[in-house]
Parts: sequence; structure tokens; C-alpha cells
Amino acid sequence: MKTVVRKVKNPSVRDVLLSARYKGANLARIGELGLKRGPLQTLRDFRRFPWLKSLARANDLHEMMTRGRTGVYREANAYVISKIISSITEMIRSFLGAPENTVIHEDLVPPEILYGMGLNPWMAEFLGIIVPMIDSATIEGYIDVAENHGIPPDVCSLPKSTIGLVLEGHLPRPAAVVSSNMPCDGGMSQYTIIERQLGAPTFRLDTPHRFTSDRAVDYFAGELRRLIAWLEAHTPGRMDWDRMREVCRERNRATELEFELWDLIRERPAPLAAEPIYLPHLMYMIAQPGTVEGTRVFRRVVELARKNRERGTGALPEERHRVALWNPPTMIFVDLFAWAEQAYGVSLIMDMLTYHRHPFIDTTSPDTMLRDLAKVIMQGPMARHTRGPAENFFSDLFHFYEQFDLDMIWMAGHIGCKNTQALNGMFREKCRSRGIPLLVIDYDLSDARVVPPAAIRRQVEHFMETVMRAERMDL
Amino acid sequence: MLPPVFQDLLDRPLHGWAGESKAAGNRIIGTTCSYIPRPLVSVKGLTPVRLRAPGVAGTPMADTYLSSVLCPYTRSLLELALDGSLDVLDGWVFTASCDHLRRLCDNLEYLVNPPFVHMLDLPHKTGDEALAWYVEELEGLAGALAARFGVDTSRPALAAAIREQNEYLARVRRIGDLRRREYPPISGTDFHRILVAGETAPRDRLAGPLRELGETLERAEGIRDFRARVLVVGSQLDDPGYIRLLESMGALVVADRFCLGSIPGLEPIPEQGDPLQALAAHTLRKTACPRMMEAFPQRVRTILDAAGSHRVDGVVLEVMKFCDVWGVEASPLAAALREAGLPVLRLEREYALSGEGQVRTRVQAFLESMGR
Repeated sequence: MKTVVRKVKNPSVRDVLLSARYKGANLARIGELGLKRGPLQTLRDFRRFPWLKSLARANDLHEMMTRGRTGVYREANAYVISKIISSITEMIRSFLGAPENTVIHEDLVPPEILYGMGLNPWMAEFLGIIVPMIDSATIEGYIDVAENHGIPPDVCSLPKSTIGLVLEGHLPRPAAVVSSNMPCDGGMSQYTIIERQLGAPTFRLDTPHRFTSDRAVDYFAGELRRLIAWLEAHTPGRMDWDRMREVCRERNRATELEFELWDLIRERPAPLAAEPIYLPHLMYMIAQPGTVEGTRVFRRVVELARKNRERGTGALPEERHRVALWNPPTMIFVDLFAWAEQAYGVSLIMDMLTYHRHPFIDTTSPDTMLRDLAKVIMQGPMARHTRGPAENFFSDLFHFYEQFDLDMIWMAGHIGCKNTQALNGMFREKCRSRGIPLLVIDYDLSDARVVPPAAIRRQVEHFMETVMRAERMDL
Repeated sequence: MLPPVFQDLLDRPLHGWAGESKAAGNRIIGTTCSYIPRPLVSVKGLTPVRLRAPGVAGTPMADTYLSSVLCPYTRSLLELALDGSLDVLDGWVFTASCDHLRRLCDNLEYLVNPPFVHMLDLPHKTGDEALAWYVEELEGLAGALAARFGVDTSRPALAAAIREQNEYLARVRRIGDLRRREYPPISGTDFHRILVAGETAPRDRLAGPLRELGETLERAEGIRDFRARVLVVGSQLDDPGYIRLLESMGALVVADRFCLGSIPGLEPIPEQGDPLQALAAHTLRKTACPRMMEAFPQRVRTILDAAGSHRVDGVVLEVMKFCDVWGVEASPLAAALREAGLPVLRLEREYALSGEGQVRTRVQAFLESMGR
């Protein structure tokens, strides 16, 4: 594990014990997966799905997310990482154990419907997001496979990672694949290859470009109805509306808790920041929404945030700057914020993937559930920013910049995201006219060879010291 | 062999006819995508121009806003708009066809703020629900054009525009069909000039020259000095110079399945029933861009059918740099065509003609690999 985040000098006994406890629990969860699959089958799994080796190193993630962090903030990070490891192992067990009951879906297809139908969801892009957090070299291998197959280097590395995995045969054949035209052209187009390669029946959801009208909600809710009928014809799944209602209610509970968390982090200093805010959203509002486990995680994170607030303690020893991150987090440099906290007292408060204005789902009838789910998906992270007019890209950001009392914006300028690259010129001018300091970080989402973490750090240093006039706190 | 009118139209983004048409009281409407049904922007009082950017050597101003990783076609158009070369346009019509064109529209509105911009919300499917959606979208455009420019976009006016379009298509199809001959009387380069001219000039000016050309070609001797018959497949291609480059190596282009190409774009629009319904169905289902996410098998079939009917020896798959939908689709498409026994040459290209030496070498090697 490579990191430049410094360990805490003279850590408390509590912090040491906490890490030992969570690392032990993480290993136990991974071991449990091996036990449930059986030793021989586990060996076969590791041979057939080499990315599982990255999962075996999941405690590296614990190290990266807890290093330099103390007290409640450290606990929140350890807790969130541990729960995510636990959920991922369960997800893997379900997929490998019952691929015939699993649906591979694009990241903006509602898993709630799959849960309601008794199917296991597996987000196709999931490995491309999670693996580089632990081990960027593994995912770079898959990117190379895709490029060697003819996918141009300029296409987003996230779909290329998924294409590489599929071309290598490193995903089992599922019962079905469900994709959509979101969030971008590259992401949409990859499913032609995935469909051909996996040989699984594929359904594609069509989201209108202008998605806020009733007409658009009608159209997309109709798409969801057609999806359900199609899944019933092509998979063992059957819609159980009572089960679906419970999933939606669970999602509402988690949303309510997430809003409470946001209220807490509006305060200066924020009682929690960075990963305990965005990782639960990524895992339990995007990949696995509507699960009891997700609600439990949000509840615990809120409790921890409250604990810090009651003590009048911030997540950071000294919060000097509050930042918004636009675009997905830098997965190839997942400890960017752990480092920036130490170096400059930068607190990541809110980001593009996490922030939303989703409605609570009205569970009165199948129709109300589908219509609200349609709104949730069409206004999901990235979807609401990459579709419709450019104003959609900026309005959320400038809104929460005020709402969360922020000092600057860091734009994770993923070179493969042409949709957002094409707005950077406008972005700079809009920020300038509002007096908002903006850093556009040049990098690639999943490929650390394009801009390595050290070069990302230099961009941040340059910005913090010249634009923000910040002093280093760690030298 | 081509009448001079077809040559003169292609060397500038907007030919002199645009100014003449405007002086005569017509409004000039720029379009950027094949999913915009031409008859809808061709009603009396409107002159549509499919926007091109010939002669744009660099895009420094556009790159500042769109970045250098966007499709060079969109960057070239923004460059022209920023330097005032497109000020003669009274309006722009876009479709939400791809990320690049959508962001061009956003930046255009932010930087230039043209007097009229309309974005058609184009579905990614072609089924009945998508068709109904697109009919409403076209209805919206028809209403917006009528409100803004005071033109008649009623059903009878649209029916008349469809008839005119079909007459034009019939004239071009007559010429295009000659390319199926063993020795076609027209080169791919010249045929492409006709198609591009037809997208950028008022159709009534071309009717006479096209009729005469058709008659001449029917009696003409065929071209014999070629090494192989090829089908060109790919994205936006509006520069006949590119086809000329392929043909300079002996690859006679007998069929073209790209934006501004003839397959399947020359099929007539049904004249029965509701004109908007006919336009929506024809446009959604005849245009074969990979942005239509369910239609990969149909696109493969179209190419294989064209390859058979035009007796092609191989396929040149041209992909514009940074185009995501074609960039990804080219890989499974090439594989599917090769599986069907067709040799495929995949070429990446810029919007402006460049790297001619490399293209020549690749085409020569391709022809040799086919034993030609």
C-alpha cells in the first residue's frame, strides 16, 4: 500500500484497538466468503476471477481511510469501510453462487426493481470503481485489454475497465443485462460489447434528454414498466409489489437519515467529512439502495456525527477550508482527502455523486412507486448533470456551495469525461464571476498511469498555495 | 463530368446562395445531424443548411471551451461561430444525438447566443413509444419555427415539403443506383459531392443539373481502372476529399453508409398518412447512428445487405477521432463484419483532411491484403 498520509504520532489506545477490531472483522468477512463457497471452489474462483485478489487486500482500504485520522472521525471511516467490505463480499457470494438469478445493470438502472423481483443486482461498473481504490494496477490491465480490442484510448476508462473484465471472461454470465443511455455516450455504447460477449439477453432504458417534465416522467415510468415485463419474461424474477414497497420504504428511511447527516455537516467545523459522507451514498444509495443494511449504516454515521457535534469537535483537528468535489471522486488516489486534511486542513463536505434532490418515494401504489423511481433515476448522480442543458451541471453545485458554506470547488477533471470537459471553459468563467476559487484537477478516473497521484498532489499544492494562500500544516 | 455547380458548393461553409436566399426573404436554418428531418426545416420561407466547416485549419478558440478532446466536427463549428462566419444563420436546430453536439449547443448559446436555437429531444430507441415521443418533439419544432419565423408548418405545408424531398431523393437515387453496375459510371468522390451539395444548397437549384447528370451517366462508360469495390462506413463525413484519397489508391467507393452518405438515407418518405408521423418514423428508423442503442444488429444487417447489393470487396470503417459512439461500436462492428466474411479496414481520422500519406499506405496495404 502506497500512501503519503502520515501516521498519527502517539495514537491513543482506543484508536489502535479500534483499527485492530475492524481489521479483524474485515478479514473474518472475507474468510466467511471463502468458507461459504468452500475451499476448492474458492481456489477456482480466484483463478477464474483474478480481481478477487484485490478484495483480499481490502484492509489496505482501511489503512488508507484511517491513517492520520483520530477519534470519532477515524471510527466513522473504519465503520463505513468495514460495512462496505461486508456488503461487497455478500454481493460477490450472491453473484458467484447464483448467476442465473443475477442481473448485471448499468449504474443508473434502479436496483430497487431488481430487489422487488427477487433478483440479485450487480452493478457492471462496480469493479471499475472499487478495484482501483485498492489496486490500480489490476484495473489498468483491463483497460489495456479493452484498448487492445480496439476501444480508443480517449474513451472513458470506466467503461473500458468493464469492457476489459468482460472480454477477459472475468464476470460470470448473468440471467440478464440491463443498461441505459446514461450517464454518457461511452458508458451507453459499451453494452453492445457486453451483450455480445456475455451472450445474455439485454434490455436498455431510454432516458429523455430533458427529464424534468411530466411527459418525461410518463415516458421513463413506461420504460420501467416495460423493463419489469421484460425481466419477468427473461429471468426467474417476479415482481412482488409488497416487497418492492418495503424496498422503497427502506430507501426513504435511508434518505431521511442522509438529509440529517447533511444538516450536521453544514456546521463549521464539520463533525464528519469525506469518505463517511460519500462512500455510504455510493454503496447504499446507488449500488444497493433500499437495503436494511444501508439504513443501518446511515443511522450509525449520523450517530457518530452527532457525537462529535455534541462535543463541539470537528472531524479534522483544524478545519481551515471546506471544499466541494465536482465529478466522481479520484478513485486512483482515494486518500487524496486524507492527505489534503493533513496538508492544508481541507475538509471535503459535499460532492457530485452524493448530492441529490430526490423525492421520497410515494409507496401508495405500483404506479406512484414507478413514477417516483423514474424521477430518482433521471435525477440521479451524473444523470441530472450530464443530460439536459448545461445549467443542470451548474445549478446543484452553486446551490450547495452556499448551502454547505464552502470555500472552494475542486473539479475532478477526468480526461475521459468529454461531457464535462466540454463545460470547463464555461465553468471557469461562471466561478470567476461568482468569486469562487476553482481547481480543475487533470487526471484519469481509473488509470493512474495518465496522471499519477503525485502529479495530482502537485496540482493541489499549486492551487492551495497560490490561489488559496494556504500554509502547509504538515511540514 | 460533374457540372460546376456541384464543385462550387463545397469549398466554403456557407455558399453564396445562403445570402441570396436570405435577401429574398428566406430564413437560413443551420442543422447538425441527420436525425433532423429536412422537410420540416424546408417549408416555404426557410432554407436549411447542413453545417460543415471546410477550411477550418485549427480550433484554438473552440478548444478553450469545448476542450481538445471533443469531436473535431463540433469544435470546428464552434470555431466558425465564434469568428462570425455563421452569423448569416437565423437559427440552429440540434438534436440531443450525442454528448458532443449537445455540449456544442450549450457552448454556442453561452458564447454566441444565436437568435433561435431548438434542441430536438431524440430518443435512443425506435419502438412505438419512442416514435410517439419523437412525433411530439417534431410538433414542438414545427410550432417553434412557425412562431419565430411566421412560416407555415401546417400538415399540408409539410406534405408538400415531403413531396419535394422525395423528388430530390428520386433524382439522386437514380444516379446512386448506377454504382451497382460492374463498372460504375460515377466515382464515389463525385457522388459524395452531389450528396454534400444537396445538403447545403436549395434543392430547386439542383433539380435541373441532377436530371441532366442522370441522363448523361446512364449512357456513360463505366470506370474500369480500379482495384477493388469498397463500402465506406462511419460517422460524420462531409468532405469528398476523403473519398478522393481512398479512390486515389484504387479503392472505388461504390456505397457509403455514413452521415451524409446514401445508405439508407435515400429511401423515400411515405406520403400517406400524417406527415409528422411519417417524418418521425422515417428519420428514426432510416438513420443508422450507433447512438441508437438497440439497433446494432440492424446496422450490421444494413451494411451486409449493402455490401451484397453493391458487390463490394471490402469495407472501410472510418471513425472520427474522439467520437465515443463510433469509437466503441467500431470494435464489435468490425468483428461482426469479419465474421460475415468481409475484409475491414478501420481508419481513425480527424474532421479536416489530414495524414494523407498514412491513409494511402493503409489503403494500399488493405487492397493488397485482399489480393487486389
